[in-house]
Amino acid sequence: MAHLSEGTLRRKFDDEDALTDSDARHYSACAECQARYTALADDALAVASALAMPDIKVDVASAFSRVRSAPAAQPRFGIRLPIMRPASRPVMGGFAAAAVIVALVVTAFAQGALNFFHPETVQPVAVSVADLQSLSGLSDFGTFAWTTKPEPQLVTSAAEAATVSGLHVPVAGNLPSGVSKTVTYAAMPAAVGVFTFDASKAAAAAGKAGKALPKMPSGMDGAKLTVTVGPAVIEIFGNLNGGASSDATQLNLPQLIVGESTAPEVTSSGVTTQQLEDYLLSQPGVSPDLAAAIRAIKDPSTTLPIPIPVEYATHKNVQVQGVTGVALGDNTGLGAAVIWIKGGTVYAVAGTLKQNQILDVANHLN
Amino acid sequence: MGVNFEVASEAGRRHGAVKSNEESFEALFAAEYARVAGIANRVLADPHEAEDVAQEVFVDFNRLHSASAPYAAAWLYRASAHKALNRVRGRRRRERRELSQATDEGSSTMDPQHVLEVNESRRQVRQALARLAPKPATVLVLRASGLSYAEVAQALGVGVGQIGTLLRRAEAALRKEVTRGSSL
Repeated sequence: MAHLSEGTLRRKFDDEDALTDSDARHYSACAECQARYTALADDALAVASALAMPDIKVDVASAFSRVRSAPAAQPRFGIRLPIMRPASRPVMGGFAAAAVIVALVVTAFAQGALNFFHPETVQPVAVSVADLQSLSGLSDFGTFAWTTKPEPQLVTSAAEAATVSGLHVPVAGNLPSGVSKTVTYAAMPAAVGVFTFDASKAAAAAGKAGKALPKMPSGMDGAKLTVTVGPAVIEIFGNLNGGASSDATQLNLPQLIVGESTAPEVTSSGVTTQQLEDYLLSQPGVSPDLAAAIRAIKDPSTTLPIPIPVEYATHKNVQVQGVTGVALGDNTGLGAAVIWIKGGTVYAVAGTLKQNQILDVANHLN
Repeated sequence: MGVNFEVASEAGRRHGAVKSNEESFEALFAAEYARVAGIANRVLADPHEAEDVAQEVFVDFNRLHSASAPYAAAWLYRASAHKALNRVRGRRRRERRELSQATDEGSSTMDPQHVLEVNESRRQVRQALARLAPKPATVLVLRASGLSYAEVAQALGVGVGQIGTLLRRAEAALRKEVTRGSSL
């Protein structure tokens, strides 16, 4: 039998019963392991003695009051990616609203008794900025509340990102020359939100806009959609200006961002999928073009629409990691991105690089 | 995924997350402050400075994370060890000054030679600790502070099965580092 490992012997020092029966038999008969243990125990005792320290006496109440009087905390939203710098936030806000509303609309297409949506492929949906701005979000149709709040955070290592998210953190195996190997990690555990339709809110919003609210089908008022987003991990390559991780708002535009998120899941209750489809698509905030684009998706029960502002980006289907994904090329020439879904996980690679470089990074993610 | 983050922050602000987080933070502080300060004191051997570190750690945590996050305690433990180790690395000059002061102050009540030896020994151990790589130094500090193998593993983001090996190597490394200057 092989000798006991250092780790096993060290554990024995802290817990005499830690050895398995076979390890214990080996140890009792092995002079070499016993000698290693003696040396190791000597080190452990010496270090324990060197680091020994009387218990610290603390006054928790006064310490807490000192912490509360510290300078006002910044918003808890600990990360603002460069693409969300203030100048671009109005667009991103609309983009976010559009993404959620489109996810909800796609739910309406989901077939089957479970009313379940879990996308397996991505499909671009071209939308105009007018579309984005006209979608004022879910608050027009009801109330949205997180049952498990999203907790995005900057973390210090890939290992911590994996711990927080529970995801395998992708490793970029083939970085283009010139791309910094300095990586900043962000991670988010899964979050669950519930949207509850509210007839009175939807009516008020439509009335304020001077438009008539489509008649709400029976059962729509109070119907619930449960949306699970994440967990997610983002890796940002490049030397970021912010320095301290607590102020990530002053970042340079990164050369490369690699993102990974478990595909969103949406379940519905209280209404049929056909009712949802008809009702949401007829809302004043959804333009005819957007509705038509959503309807054009071939397999809506398993397809995640990616809203693409038509003024800013072009797109095409590409093969990436053995599946069909969507490549976005920025018309301004500032960057490119590729998005795909594989094994129930959404991946995105984006940056201030050429599209073929982005695709190469995407194909070499491990 | 950036989309999710943006939606998340907006929704969080809309639904009164601040109040419930405040209450959670107070509970977290009450539950963990003594241990977080103890970890810093293990490194610094200075209760006042250790409390400064612990309070900074909680302020940082509250700025960036939710107090109800499942990783809250693990984050606090590791941050406390890291911040305290960073202070040791930055205070060599100040320690030399304090050492000479301690020698003067101790002369009326204790054997000056003994005070000098205790302070010098502590200084050497802490300096050696701060010269180790962050992971072994943190393993030693957290384990010496009474964290279980599972808690140390969670704080470091490694498997619990690795802790024995990490501890063994870190102890050998610390002893070697200290022995370079004196005996441990």
